[in-house]
Amino acid sequence: MSGLLVNTNNSIRENLWRYFIVAIPYIWLLLFFLAPFVIVFKISLADPIIAQPPFTPLLNESADGGFSIYTTFDNFLYLFQDSLYFVTYLNSVKLAFIATFFTLLIGYPIAYGIARSPQPTRNILLLLVVIPFWISFLLRVYSWMGILKTNGLINGFLLWLGVIDQPLELLYTDTAVYIGMVYSYLPYMILPLYANLVKLDVRLLEAASDLGAKKWQGFLDVTLPLSMPGIIAGCLLVFIPAIGEYVIPALLGGADTLMIGRVLFDEFFLNRDWPVASAVAIVLLLLLVLPIVYFQKKQAQETSEATA
Amino acid sequence: MTSDEQNFIEIKGVSKHFGDVVAVDNVDLTIKKGELFSILGASGSGKTTLLRILAGLEIPSQGSILIDGVDMTSVAPYDRPVNIMFQNYALFPHMSVFENIAYGLKKEGLQKESIEEKVQRMLTLVKLEGYENRKPNQLSGGQSQRVALARSLVKEPKVLLLDEPMAALDKKLRQSTQFELMDIHYELGITFVIVTHDQEEAMTLSDRIAIMEQGQFVQIGSPNLIYENPRSKFVADFLGNINLLQAIITEQNDKEIVVDCAALGGELKFDQTEQANTSEMTVALRPEKVMIEKNMPTNDDHSHIKGIVEDFGYFGNLSIYRVKTETGHVIQVSKQNRDRVEQSIKWEDEVYLSWDDESLMLLGE
Repeated sequence: MSGLLVNTNNSIRENLWRYFIVAIPYIWLLLFFLAPFVIVFKISLADPIIAQPPFTPLLNESADGGFSIYTTFDNFLYLFQDSLYFVTYLNSVKLAFIATFFTLLIGYPIAYGIARSPQPTRNILLLLVVIPFWISFLLRVYSWMGILKTNGLINGFLLWLGVIDQPLELLYTDTAVYIGMVYSYLPYMILPLYANLVKLDVRLLEAASDLGAKKWQGFLDVTLPLSMPGIIAGCLLVFIPAIGEYVIPALLGGADTLMIGRVLFDEFFLNRDWPVASAVAIVLLLLLVLPIVYFQKKQAQETSEATA
Repeated sequence: MTSDEQNFIEIKGVSKHFGDVVAVDNVDLTIKKGELFSILGASGSGKTTLLRILAGLEIPSQGSILIDGVDMTSVAPYDRPVNIMFQNYALFPHMSVFENIAYGLKKEGLQKESIEEKVQRMLTLVKLEGYENRKPNQLSGGQSQRVALARSLVKEPKVLLLDEPMAALDKKLRQSTQFELMDIHYELGITFVIVTHDQEEAMTLSDRIAIMEQGQFVQIGSPNLIYENPRSKFVADFLGNINLLQAIITEQNDKEIVVDCAALGGELKFDQTEQANTSEMTVALRPEKVMIEKNMPTNDDHSHIKGIVEDFGYFGNLSIYRVKTETGHVIQVSKQNRDRVEQSIKWEDEVYLSWDDESLMLLGE
């Protein structure tokens, strides 16, 4: 009898423990993602006012003691009316896309090289990829300013070589933004690609070669398709932060480098228009989340089909 | 048969070094056209390296390889008339069964219809019709093996190399697959070179076997020849079960050699082929060549000794006995269970062992 009691007690405790473990990530997401999101969404539905805080409250206490809810979609409508926002979104996507493309172009051979190198060298090379993280991100972007500016390293070197006789205008251009982004996000591309490529069975390449494929054909037919998950993971890890990037375009880009991160900053801190800034943020989030959700669903479908 | 067909594959003085390790050590070998040839050895004997050299996946450090009279030593794998079936099959996981088999034909630049036709013919050959659209992760071990076989055969290579083709299959499946492989070999007439560590597999499948040890061949010949006439103690011990009994040379001349073998009860005479330079030799006797009886044997041609059954194992089709002789030596004997009766010889029974002296082999080191 008593044994049975202890048993049920234990199973209850076990269940609680299990719920607790499962709850941790949910609580985390609730507190640090959903709650802030709801607050931002709430602000995006308000009107800007000159007050503290600078937006109209959601709930208004009327004279007779009742409450009324005040919401407006003006901020979202405004985003669609002013073509600046549309152009900025588009430009952000373009910049992030091109930056991701070049990151992949540079990152893939590096990841491939590391994955194919012998074990001891591999660890050193991986360390070298990660080492820049030990220096502040801001400092690294600043140092690019030093390299790219009119009398910076690159211009100095090219002038000394005699390739040019006028310093190139590198800093404060889109090119500088691309350089900064590719440089900063390269590790995020290399690491998932490396993790994928290092698992590749070399015998598959040998089999391809045995069946008549030249080295490059083996790469295209075997390595590339099998590294697709790594490519997708790396591209998402670069594309998503790149689209909302603020620091790099602010420091390296010109006045005409339109990126959504900068617009967001300006709305918040220069115009003090919190509701519009919030609306910009909400739209950005939807712009990012919807394609990713669609993509993941499609991938899940494909894998379930493959194992069916 | 022309001399070209006799020397279809020629391996001449081939060595392969990996750093300080000598994987293949100055090996010579010729394989006939259409032969089913096995290279048998323990792991690390260099057999897989030799196979990879034939496939072109390794370049030999020394020596040359000729296939059908053409020097292949430094020809890239994709230009060789040779295909290999890998031990773990190495099927492309992102391609269907059809695409896997068709891959080599596509690289040849064949027409779509002809690819279709050839792949279908292969699927019929390996009995996998209807599996075209499956992915490798939806196949059982045996099915994967068939796809790998079809993929390496579809290009109609002059030589098919098989690296441990049955290692990943369970025992029952292995046996039936062995016979199917022999059928396919017979049907297509392609030269097969198989690398295996499984002596039973090598014996069942092969026309000839080469036994490899430390990068060199220790004996090459038909399964029957190697089993009945092993050239050394190593080969005798490696292939099947055998009793290896110590013997000391008492007398030798040009014609014969006399040894004293305590375990078999005294002096034995053998025809002399070459002068032995040590005084210690080994007399070898296969367990199935020894008869075990409870009564004194009456056959005068046979020698016999007395002993006591120390241990015995029943395997259904046969029983294996370990018999301790009067001199304290242990001799293994196997007996076919021809009659459907209870085992008559048991532990501690006193028995007579007898054998035909022709069954005895005298081996050096």
